[in-house]
Amino acid sequence: MNLQLLISGTTMGIVYGLIAMGMVLIFRSVGVMNFAQGEFLMVGGYFCYTFNQILHLPILVSLLLASLLMGVVGVVFMRTSYWPLRKAQTKAIIVSAMGASIALKEGARLTWGAIPVSVDKVIKGTAKIGTATVQWQYLSIIGISVVLMIFVYILLEKSFIGHIMQATAQDQYMASLVGIPVIVSIGLTFALSAIITGIGGGLLAPLFFLSNTMGAASGAKAFAAIVIGGFGSVPGAIVGGLIVGLVESFGGAYISTTYQLVLIYIVLVIVLMFRPQGIFGERIQEKA
Amino acid sequence: MKDTLTENKPVLTLSKVCKNFGGVVAADNISIEMFGGQTFGLIGPNGAGKTTLLNLITGIYSSDCGQIHLNGKNITKAPTHKRALLGIARTFQHPRLLERCDIQTNIQLGIDLANKRRRKNPQQLQSEITMLLGYAGLKNVNLSDSVEKLSYGQRKMLEIVRSLLSEPAVLLLDEPAAGLNSKEMEYIVALIKVAIEWDIAVLLIEHSMDLVMGICDQITVLNFGHQIASGTPAEIQENQAVIDAYLGGSGHAAC
Amino acid sequence: MIQRLKSLNKPLLLVAAVIAVIGSIFIPSITSSYMLRVLNITMISYLCVLSVYVLLGMCGQNSFAQAGLWGVGSYITANVMMKLGFPTLIAFAASTLGTALFAFVLGFAFFRLRQYYFTFASVGLMAILSGLFMNWKEVTGGAMGISDVPDFSIGGFIANTESSMYFVIIIVCVIVSLLMKVLFKSALGRSFMAIRDNEMAANCLGVNSLLTKSIAFAISGALCGAAGALYANLTGYLSYQSFTYQQSTMYLVMIMLGGTVSPVGAIIGTFIISLLQEWVRPLQNYMQLIYGVGIMILMIVQPEGIIGGGKALYERYVNRKQARSDIKQSL
Repeated sequence: MNLQLLISGTTMGIVYGLIAMGMVLIFRSVGVMNFAQGEFLMVGGYFCYTFNQILHLPILVSLLLASLLMGVVGVVFMRTSYWPLRKAQTKAIIVSAMGASIALKEGARLTWGAIPVSVDKVIKGTAKIGTATVQWQYLSIIGISVVLMIFVYILLEKSFIGHIMQATAQDQYMASLVGIPVIVSIGLTFALSAIITGIGGGLLAPLFFLSNTMGAASGAKAFAAIVIGGFGSVPGAIVGGLIVGLVESFGGAYISTTYQLVLIYIVLVIVLMFRPQGIFGERIQEKA
Repeated sequence: MKDTLTENKPVLTLSKVCKNFGGVVAADNISIEMFGGQTFGLIGPNGAGKTTLLNLITGIYSSDCGQIHLNGKNITKAPTHKRALLGIARTFQHPRLLERCDIQTNIQLGIDLANKRRRKNPQQLQSEITMLLGYAGLKNVNLSDSVEKLSYGQRKMLEIVRSLLSEPAVLLLDEPAAGLNSKEMEYIVALIKVAIEWDIAVLLIEHSMDLVMGICDQITVLNFGHQIASGTPAEIQENQAVIDAYLGGSGHAAC
Repeated sequence: MIQRLKSLNKPLLLVAAVIAVIGSIFIPSITSSYMLRVLNITMISYLCVLSVYVLLGMCGQNSFAQAGLWGVGSYITANVMMKLGFPTLIAFAASTLGTALFAFVLGFAFFRLRQYYFTFASVGLMAILSGLFMNWKEVTGGAMGISDVPDFSIGGFIANTESSMYFVIIIVCVIVSLLMKVLFKSALGRSFMAIRDNEMAANCLGVNSLLTKSIAFAISGALCGAAGALYANLTGYLSYQSFTYQQSTMYLVMIMLGGTVSPVGAIIGTFIISLLQEWVRPLQNYMQLIYGVGIMILMIVQPEGIIGGGKALYERYVNRKQARSDIKQSL
């Protein structure tokens, strides 16, 4: 059974890691936590549903098309939620993102209805690994997510676009002074964040069903993942996500399913108490 | 400048204070004695560790070795707010005011600090405020205006006024004259003179050598975190090491 | 500027205050029971929004746990009255002080963290409290909740009607609002604002960050605790579904709408959003969507809220007048 828990925990963890990575990208880019990240997951899932179940396209094609659409969503979100407020106080941006999250949730409900729906699995059926019987979907989630993460890594660290995005993240003003179109760079970051999170939604859908309220819970867990893994750190987001997934999985089985989210947050609070910067994060000191 | 013979107990002492950041030595074996009613100059090139020393004194950084004593009390491990309560006041290179409050509130914070030690007499307080604002060139400022309306120079003055109103034992000034014109420099000198009159030990970080050499009783020179010279203004101006590192041949600050 | 307004209009303000007092006495007789209930709940929300004002508006600390603290206050009153058999005032005091103490102690743990870390910890706290409210049957009744919480009563007076509770609540609100003014003018209030605007300068001015922020959190806890006590007496029924993260965010939106700079902002924001929710009921289906988009637009147009916008307009008016008289003088 433990192997089962390990695999399901890792799968969920890796998806939380994807969402968390999306959050970290935005945070590093504009310095604000995106309170609507969970909704990216939801919307991405629903796009997938539209392509796959309504237009009857194969699941991988649906995922691809959904991610392109999510890129657009990311840019629009940035333009409406963040860009007009880029000079305003942080709390204004947070509240605006909260508003966006509500708008997305309700928009989804009005578009796709309130009844939970699902999409096709990437690979159907189950596999036997050791003593565990595991759905192929879990393994394909892990596989696709790892590929995505490698892609993001290469994009950010090795490519020209990635360097532009990192430069803007470090210092918007300086970046603009050296000729980087800041709004384009930030738009790309938001788009990337929305894409990877949205794909996560499409991957999770066959396992857990899509509903317009699913954003809140996953957003909350991704958030815990970032804090535990280390603020502002991309590997931290992934590791944090895995930890959250495993705590949820093992904690749910051995301690209690009702208190699952509480358990995750107790871990979060403990981490904050003893190592507020998380596992990979850096302590930032204010200059006098 | 007060007669050093009557002041035999230092108000603030640093003994062999040091601070490292990773591999960078920000302060190495610094020892200083400051007396009430005297001005102590701290000069050196940019990056020499002057502001770091201020941060060590106020407790924003904790020292890696050495001790700090205020009026005999060991404050080496004390947190910043405790040191402020014990009488250490400072200004910042870029004035730190409450941007969303009015000028009255900003000043009031200094008074609140003094009140924590001993309740100030309201009339005496009012005349103090009027006098200080006069010396600071802020006489005609409307106290209920937002702080945003003040010019850069006025903000620096306000910070010093706020610090003085808190009745400190030690006043640390971090480049108060930077960015100021000559008229505003006069205000700075006037305020420092008030501090001296009130028997406060003043530490002055400055690049303006006219100001430093003119008003300081003792000067310490820092370079790369090391104390390379200590003495009276005359002694410092003759010191070869100081000339090489900072002053340049003609006794003025190297640009 | 506000002082100038006040000194100019003191007699006017006094008249306005008297009218407001008389008006509020007559409100119960001219409104329906349903609207009175809405008003009562709105005033209780006002107390919670005030807690955000103290913590965020004055002290600069953003918390998402306020609805959780409100819940703590409610459950304390319910348990103190029903399980321990104590009368209303004891329960009220227990809720207020108990929640304050709870927040104070947590403050010491959470405020060791830098600003946004505290916000995260508050999200964690809210989630943990939510989970406890939903599952801790002995204290909160679990999924079934607690019913038949006794009414508010002092001596022979029992507030068992909507209008009697209205008077109780409005008196509490007025007293609390006056206390807020006192706080604003006090050294403690100034130390909150010092932390909000420039924490390092505050430290160098003798303000103990950890202690002061914890006190702010405690005061916000007291406000939520009082609100919770009144809520328990008013509705008689407590369900974990009231004390949610969404509710906490609602308080934040209310104060942002009204303006974080003043308790008047709390009043305006609370009333507008609460009443909007009532009047827009026919549009129920689209209401949330409008609400979400509305928040986004509000932040873009006026992040300082209505009070902030009002202040800005006033400043522009004063400056324009000043500029005109300056020009006249120089001619």
